[in-house]
This record gives sequence, C-alpha cells and structure tokens, in this order.
Amino acid sequence: MNCCLCDQALRFVPSWRGIFLYEAPELLCQHCRNEFSKITEQGCKFCGKEGEAICRDCHYWEEHGYRELIHSGKSLYRYNDAMKDWFHQYKFLKDVLLAQVFAKDMREALVNERAVVVPIPLNNEKLRERSFSQVDELLLAAGIPYRHLLEKYGETLGEKTRQERMATKRLFRLNGEKVPKQLVLVDDLYTTGTTMRQAAKTLQEAGAESIRILTLIRA
Amino acid sequence: MQAIEAFLSGRIWIRQFIPFPQELVQQAIDQGNAIVVSGISADGQCARCLETSPDYVIPYTCATCRTICRYCRTCIKMGRISSCTELVVWRTPPTVNAGLRAFGWAGDLTPLQNSASKAISKSIREREDHLLYAVCGAGKTEILFSPIHEALQKGLRICIAAPRTDVILELSPRFKQAFPDATIHTLYGDSPEQSGYGEIILATTHQLYRFQEAFDLLFVDEADAFPYSLDPSLERGVKKAGKPSAPIIYISATPSKTLQKRITVHSTIFKRYHGAPLPVPVYRAMWNYERQIRKGNLPLPLKRWIEDKLQKQQPFLLFFPSIQLIDQVYPLLHKIDSRIESVHSKDPQRKEKVMKLREGMLAGLATSTILERGITIPHLQVAVIGSDHRVFDRAALIQIAGRVGRSAKDPTGDVVFFHNGINRQMDAARQEILFYNKEGRV
Ligand SMILES: [Zn+2]
Ligand SMILES: [Zn+2]
Repeated sequence: MNCCLCDQALRFVPSWRGIFLYEAPELLCQHCRNEFSKITEQGCKFCGKEGEAICRDCHYWEEHGYRELIHSGKSLYRYNDAMKDWFHQYKFLKDVLLAQVFAKDMREALVNERAVVVPIPLNNEKLRERSFSQVDELLLAAGIPYRHLLEKYGETLGEKTRQERMATKRLFRLNGEKVPKQLVLVDDLYTTGTTMRQAAKTLQEAGAESIRILTLIRA
Repeated sequence: MQAIEAFLSGRIWIRQFIPFPQELVQQAIDQGNAIVVSGISADGQCARCLETSPDYVIPYTCATCRTICRYCRTCIKMGRISSCTELVVWRTPPTVNAGLRAFGWAGDLTPLQNSASKAISKSIREREDHLLYAVCGAGKTEILFSPIHEALQKGLRICIAAPRTDVILELSPRFKQAFPDATIHTLYGDSPEQSGYGEIILATTHQLYRFQEAFDLLFVDEADAFPYSLDPSLERGVKKAGKPSAPIIYISATPSKTLQKRITVHSTIFKRYHGAPLPVPVYRAMWNYERQIRKGNLPLPLKRWIEDKLQKQQPFLLFFPSIQLIDQVYPLLHKIDSRIESVHSKDPQRKEKVMKLREGMLAGLATSTILERGITIPHLQVAVIGSDHRVFDRAALIQIAGRVGRSAKDPTGDVVFFHNGINRQMDAARQEILFYNKEGRV
C-alpha cells in the first residue's frame, strides 16, 4: 500500500491495537498525517473556532434572529494547506476513498453520541453529478449510524459572496421523516455557518429541541 | 478534416468534456467514426491509464448510476473516471499527408551528433526502438530535428514526451522554430486548448493517457526510469499512445541497465557538444549537517564554499534533500547574502527565480531536486548538501552535476557533494562521469 495522499510506500507498523481491536488501517504516511492540524484549544462554543468564546460569524447569527438556535458545537480540524488539498481532492476530484482519512476522528467524536446524527445533504442534482455525498461517506467510513431528515433546494452556496450567503432565505425542507427532540447536525466544512443555521432553523420549526453541530473542518 | 475529427483523432476523452456540441459527438458515434467505452472495464481496468491494481481502482456506491462503481485513483487528477463514465474513442484513421515540409533549423551538428541523428533516422525507417544514450549537454534536441523532419514529410504523427512540464515548455519554442509549417501542440497539466490536428505533440508523460494508438513515432525524453519505474503506469501510457508498430526512441543521460539491455539499438554520445569533459564531483565531508542547520548554524565547509562563489560572483545552486531543511536553512543563507533565495516544487515563483539567477539578479538558489534537469545557466556552480541522502540516487546526482559547464565559453565549474559518509549512489555517479570522460576522449 502507498500513502493515499503522496503515494510514497507506507511502512507498515503493526500495533497491538490493530491486532486485537478493530482499527482501520492507516492510509497516510506519517509525514502527510502530521501536516493536518487539530483544533485543540477551547474556542467558539458553537463552531469551535479558536479565539473568542463566540466567534465573529456565530456572533452575527446570535444577533440576527438565530439566538440559541444551536446549543453548542465543535470542529475537529483547521483549514490549513494540507486540509485544503485534502478537501479539494475529496470533494472536487471526487476521491471517495479519502473519506477514510478522518474515520478515526469522526468515530471518536460521535461513537458515544446519544442524539440522532443528521448529515447535511446535497441537492439531488449535485448528488448525481458528484456521485456521492461527502458527509455521508465520512460517517460511513467512521461506522457511525445516521439518519437523513433534510432535503436541499437547488442552489449551492459556493458561488455566493459572504453577504449573499448570510442573507440566503431557505436552503432546506424536511424530507418527511419524524424529527427527534435531540440531534447533532454534521457537515464537512464550516465557513460562515449559514448552512448549519438554516438546517437548524428548519429542524427546530419541526420540533427539534436540542441541536448541536459537528464539522470536520473550521475555515 | 472536420474540427471534431481533428480534436478526437487518436484521443480517448471523457464524453461530457469534449469541447464540441453533444449532437456532433452523437453524430460521429452514429456514423461509426467514434465509439463509446466504459471508463473502467468489467474486469476492473481503467480505460484511460490502464491501471488494474485494486489499490488504485476503488469500488464504491455510486449515486450517479445507483450501483457499485469503481473509479481510478491513478489518473484522477485528469478528471475522475469511473465505471459509469463514458469515454469516446475516435476510430477512423486520419488521412496521411505526405509531402515537402519547411525546416527552420540550420545549425551544425558535431560528427558524434550527426551519426546519432543518422542512426535514429534509420531506426525510424526500420521501425525499431532506439536508445539515445547521451550525456548532459550533448545537444540532444538538435540531434532529433532531422529525423523528425524526415518523419513529418512522410506524414507520420509524432510525439515527444518528457516527465516534466518545464522540459516541455522549454522544447516548445525550439520545435516551433524548427518546424514552422507544422501544427504543434504543447500539452501539460493546465495547458490551454489548442485547435486543429496536432502533427507533433509535445506532452508530459501523464498527458499520454489521453491518447490511444495515435502516434506513428514516439520520443521519450529523460527515460531514465524506464522500464519499471516507480510509476509503471507511465510506461503503459507511452505504449498505449503509440500505434502497435510505432518505434519508440528513448533518450537518457542515465539509462537504467534494464533499458540498455532491452533496447538493442543504441547511439551513445559521451562528449558534450563543446568537447570539454564533464565536471567531476568532489566529495567533502560535512558531519551532522542536519543537526547544525536545525540549531541555526550554517556548517562551516558550506559557508566557506558559498562565500567563495559570492566573492567570484558565480551563480550557484544548493541542492537539499527536503523542503523542511530548505525552510530551516533559508534564514541562515539569507543572512550571508540577501540575494540567496529558495525554491521548491510547489513554489509558484519558481520560473521567475530561476530567471533572476540567470540574469544575475540573484546570487544563488537553495532548491529541492526539482531543478536537477532542464536548467542551463552560464558559469553555474553546484553543491549537493547531504548527497548521501536517499533522494539523491545515481541518476539524480549525474543530472545535478550535468548542470555545470554547459556553455562553450566556460565549460568548467564546481560540483561538490557535501556528505555524511560516502555511499554507493555517490560513487556510482562519480564513476559513471569518469567513464564518460574517458570514453569521450577517444
Ligand atoms: Zn463560531
Ligand atoms: Zn486511470
């Protein structure tokens, strides 16, 4: 096997954990693994961004009609160069295998979760075009059960400016499944928080009482 | 020739990315000029790069076709191909246009270059593979011009492949000058779209994945790694791009023993075009250089060497084994002289910095192995820091040494291997250079 990012041969070091407990094989060489940067310090209570207790983006939402809609949340990694490369290859070059790179992190973050795990969906047209849902694949790789509750309308945020994003009206509708009281919304990348706030609003209106969020990356 | 035929001839292309209206594509398929093939065959082979390894052809649940699809990771950077991707292959062979063609090259060849050139022409006529084994600075490109002109007049479609974009970009203007009435396409990672039917294709080896039985004649430059290189898919790419009977001319300054054995017809040039011998590497011990640099000290032998070059106003390249080490050493070098810069493979200003070194605006460059080939700067001096490191194999060290003394005006210069202990690769490189010089003297 070679490292799935740099294609150098992997030196396989069998570990006791790997032999006796089930552990997914490492797909990265040590060098590529070290390039990623975990968020370690306590930051924004909503999105995990390092710095103030409530970051600028989340502060905006709290002041503009989304107060305490999200109970709390976190992100696992910083959006550094290595992560940008990974994200590009995963999402835009459609290298599905790369979902497994963060399987262990996603599993650790969610394995003891009691609330229902709800992935942020793609709209159907995008899904057909991309051929996979990047959030679902992250959860599948981690072995975390999830339930879809939302459907996405036709437009994507990618082409919009910051102001346009924050002013976007409706992104999601319910898919008809029963909405539980407690849930965790999961997405790949937290940029301004529009997607998460929109999803949370739709779910709150349908009866969700406690909504927490988890994203792999905080931009 | 219709535009769509000119584009698709000899190519294998993802259907939805063909730059023509889909109706035209459909028409070509209906008329039997083109066929559609599945991106990944039923038995798991990528139709574009011919990858078969299950480590690289990965199954997953595809939301496009709602079945288990496989996709290829080997050629994913060129746009992902999966089982449900449709690839279009043009089937109708193009009409052969033989006839007199302009030749814009009027230089002189040395007797050695001339006989290699004649031998290559003969191999092409007899459709046999050929190895041009020529030292750095032998003037390889000029050797190829006459055989290529001859092939062009016969109406052959010709490909010149090299592993690096830099090399392709350097060849492009020289070819356009040598063959002024030929349609020449220059293909690399982000190359712009080029119209018409390319008679001569200059391409990075990766771009050959996008051709299928296209060429009557192929030249593979810097074929050191052939065969059985780290990336065997590149060799498959070359084979697939050529017609079954197409001769392949391999060109290398450091061919592997296997290639030398496998290709029976050789031309060898162990003398530079200007006739002076190749500079021979000198070993200089520099113990624990990595730790010293990490601690913020520039090792003394290296410091002295740099100061000497600065004083003589000679441009220099410092080759380092890793980007990390370059980052650590950079402030130390900058302190000696602010006109010392660093480059590495991901540096967007790579070309500008090399240009500045050539023009004398920079004194020296610290670099990873990326600059080992295709760079010619008068009066250049080079030092390899940690020449015993595993990234510097025999071929890389010979190429690095080959950067020095390329111009006839100043055919000498320093090649210093600063090391932590002499190893076999260093010795092999040095022995080989001494061997060339001995052979070249005859
Ligand atoms: Zn926040
Ligand atoms: Zn492929």
